[in-house]
Amino acid sequence: MKKFLALILVLVFTIGINAQQSPGKDHSKLNLSCKTCHSCDVPTKSDPCLVICPREKITTVYQKPEQTPELITINQLSDRYGPVYFSHKIHAQMSIMSGGCENCHHHNTSGPILKCNSCHETSRKREDVSIPDLKGAYHRQCMDCHREWSHETGCNSCHTLKKDLKDTKNESLQKKYSGKDHPVIIEPTKLVYETKSDKGKLVTFYHDDHTKKFGLNCTSCHKQESCTKCHDVNNTDKSKNQKVVTKKTFEDQHSNCISCHSKTENCSKCHGEKTLEPFDHGKKTGWALNKHHINLSCAKCHGSKLPYNKLDNKCLSCHKGWNAENFKHSITGLQLDEMHSELSCEDCHTDGNFGIKPSCDGCHDDYSFPKQKPGKLVK
Amino acid sequence: MSGKSRRDFLKSTALIGAGVTGLTTTAKAGPQNILSEDRMGVLVDTTVCVGCRNCEWACKDAHNLPAGNLEDYEDRKVLDTKRRPGTDALTVVNEYSHGKNSSLPIDVKVQCMHCDHPACVSACIVGAFTKHENGTVTWDTDMCIGCRYCMAACPFQVPAFEYDKALNPMIMKCDFCFDRTKEGKLPACVEICPVEALTYGKRSDLIKIARDRIKRNPDKYVDHILGETEVGGTSWMYLASKDFAELEFPKLGKNPAPGVSESIQHGIFAYFVPPISLYALLGGIMWITKRRKELDEEVK
Ligand code: SF4
Ligand code: SF4
Ligand code: SF4
Repeated sequence: MKKFLALILVLVFTIGINAQQSPGKDHSKLNLSCKTCHSCDVPTKSDPCLVICPREKITTVYQKPEQTPELITINQLSDRYGPVYFSHKIHAQMSIMSGGCENCHHHNTSGPILKCNSCHETSRKREDVSIPDLKGAYHRQCMDCHREWSHETGCNSCHTLKKDLKDTKNESLQKKYSGKDHPVIIEPTKLVYETKSDKGKLVTFYHDDHTKKFGLNCTSCHKQESCTKCHDVNNTDKSKNQKVVTKKTFEDQHSNCISCHSKTENCSKCHGEKTLEPFDHGKKTGWALNKHHINLSCAKCHGSKLPYNKLDNKCLSCHKGWNAENFKHSITGLQLDEMHSELSCEDCHTDGNFGIKPSCDGCHDDYSFPKQKPGKLVK
Repeated sequence: MSGKSRRDFLKSTALIGAGVTGLTTTAKAGPQNILSEDRMGVLVDTTVCVGCRNCEWACKDAHNLPAGNLEDYEDRKVLDTKRRPGTDALTVVNEYSHGKNSSLPIDVKVQCMHCDHPACVSACIVGAFTKHENGTVTWDTDMCIGCRYCMAACPFQVPAFEYDKALNPMIMKCDFCFDRTKEGKLPACVEICPVEALTYGKRSDLIKIARDRIKRNPDKYVDHILGETEVGGTSWMYLASKDFAELEFPKLGKNPAPGVSESIQHGIFAYFVPPISLYALLGGIMWITKRRKELDEEVK
């Protein structure tokens, strides 16, 4: 009898959650408010009281765009028009900076990606009209972006009338998209923003410093970009200086910067009456970076904790394993002669401080660097 | 369309000269009690509508009005001017600028609201308008005498008049695709809408759905379902991202409009008997001419 009851329960549960997947046994331990998915206080198996489509970031299956299908044929609803071929991979690559997978796959609790028709009914005439039907859902996904940049709503931009369909096997399209990626996005070096601030009208932003030196990912700042940022038929000349007026609030405007630059930092760090110079380690800290350090990200030496701590000048603080035996001195531009290569580092570099001039006093009475050298200069 | 036969009408207007009483009896009161709990409606979500105007095409196509090619509706220049539903288009889409942080416009489809207590029904002196159980408000072309009372009474300025026809002009408006829904089909505009900006369902369900959308997206919607209470409630209801006044919706109270029009009408009857009788007489003549013309046509 017990078994039978359990079976009934399972059945009721499966029907109850119908299109939605089981979120897994431990899902209550996820970092989510119960109300994200359940509308009542005590959800039970038989009545999980699921809210319609929470549109939350709970997709647990993430794939790299490159692992996703290249071309998807949407033909379940074709009537007047032929099927629509959707270049999925390229769209997935574009979506990285504008919401990611959830932007379209907005209701995936766990497990494999759900098909749209697992929730959106194919018939417009239906009992439950609380969520759009499949046709509505598809068009909402596509048209929101497409009309933003093309300003068009014509059906022909995606659809081909059935009578005009020639290539029914879409071989040409498959060829067109096979192995094709979204072009690499070329990042700007320097951006100057005009602001209304009385603390300095111009904000100079060195974009490549932030990515290459400060090691930020694209998505650290670009999370919900609109497609028009790159695709806008009204702005085809990318070389021209663009004037975009934003209506963002003070907080919104600064939120990206403030996540690293603390709020208490001086406004003049970014704001000035003239455009500002890029960050220069030598000028700011008195320790110019040599060619071995110049291309490193800050975090490589300073760690990821902000604000950065001042480091000492001792190589060994970072290069813990270095000693006289394994260090190739020629890398500094001076190749030690046979006599000196036997010495330990501290014999010349007092206290192991490589920021100050090495001393010859330990052995020689009237020698001084760089008049006398313990070897020969290379390259 | 209407349940009233011409014979009834003839009976009630037999004595046009003594018209006052005769006429008032034909003016139907707002049908307060025929409304079904399950009456249908449409929720127009203007935040979803993309302004493709497919609905305009489908509506014309379903009503045998010259519709042209669907592909020609892509031309967005039409949206530069504001339009009203007319005799050549029972529904039109108008475009408004968004204003907030969006480059996308707001598109608003306009048609008859199918009021729960329709002013047009009360105002029509020949009873050509009918409110049906499923929410639809239809009118009977054959009965219409072209007096245009409905146009004056409608709080949403919907009924349109064929001014260009000197003889036998007709009133036109959206009929909620009464003939289609009777057969279990969807209204033509609802069926074609690519984004399902028009949700067809039980009016009571639609209100719940609309409330839920507002609750879940308080930043996106203004907290107002236009048509939920306006003029006593309408079958077609709207959601929007900005104040409805900015989308050129009239500001209306909760009271059904018919009361207003009825009292005006009755006021006219009470104090201006001669002109009204005259008008009724003219109306009668017009109707008779029309009838004769129809008979002629039938003979042909
Ligand atoms: S068909 Fe739908 S999306 Fe297109 S204009 Fe009409 S209501 Fe808007
Ligand atoms: S909107 Fe106007 S025409 Fe339509 S039902 Fe209401 S009063 Fe009548
Ligand atoms: S319901 Fe029918 S008549 Fe009314 S606007 Fe839609 S298609 Fe036209």
